[in-house]
Amino acid sequence: MPTISVVILVLFTAVLAGVVVVRPALTASRAGKILAFGVLFFLPLFSLVAGMDNQMQRSESTAFCLSCHIMEPYGKSLHIDDASYLAGAHYQNHRVPSDEACYTCHTDYAMFGTFEAKLGGLRHLYIYYLGKPPLPQNIKLYRPFNNRECLHCHLGARSFEQGATHNADPATLPAIKANTLSCVSSGCHDTVHNVGRWGDKVKFWDGGS
Amino acid sequence: MHRVDSMGRRLRISGILVIIGLLVEALCLVWSKPIAFVVLVCIGGALIGLGVLFFLYSLVTAPAHATDSSGAATDK
Repeated sequence: MPTISVVILVLFTAVLAGVVVVRPALTASRAGKILAFGVLFFLPLFSLVAGMDNQMQRSESTAFCLSCHIMEPYGKSLHIDDASYLAGAHYQNHRVPSDEACYTCHTDYAMFGTFEAKLGGLRHLYIYYLGKPPLPQNIKLYRPFNNRECLHCHLGARSFEQGATHNADPATLPAIKANTLSCVSSGCHDTVHNVGRWGDKVKFWDGGS
Repeated sequence: MHRVDSMGRRLRISGILVIIGLLVEALCLVWSKPIAFVVLVCIGGALIGLGVLFFLYSLVTAPAHATDSSGAATDK
């Protein structure tokens, strides 16, 4: 549900609840009882669920992730004008949805991946507001990047399956698929965000959404 | 009479809790910061939940019969 719709629903419910607060005598009639049940039970709970769902969806957006200052360099890395930068190349070429770029790669494509991502987000909030957040260049993944996240899109794609490098050694492709040879940390696609190691010569592409 | 007034007062308290919770939720929805979700759930959700629970409590503890039609909700 779009944010504006949820806000209207929430305010509408608040106004109706205000009617019950100002004129509780209205609830003496049958219609009044139904009104009271609607505005003090059903509509508030529905509004709350709709609001939480809206926030959950918003938390998947690139803008949401980059709204923390500590993530700014990572957002900037999406605009690096260098095809060897994996994150930037995916973002700029729409290999991932540009409005959900972070979420697309950093959520496990497993049964509880979304739940774990939300739980991780709450942990990030705690560290950001109450803990000692690390410098952007010192941020590390909790665990090595799983090839499953790459293969979710690339598995079966011609460029992946028939790529010259992937097929130079017959053992490479099976190893990638078995997650024993990492896509990003085996010296192949290891330039991802590289925050803090850009140097002076890096250029930025200012196009796209 | 006293019981009927009491019901009206409980409805008011419940309504005020729900309204404050809903206003907090509305603010969180237009506040595009990550902490907005936590505020929505912990403050807005808690206030709405308290209001709803207080409303349900009012219903189950309402007097079975009331004769004052000028008061608030009662069973007939």
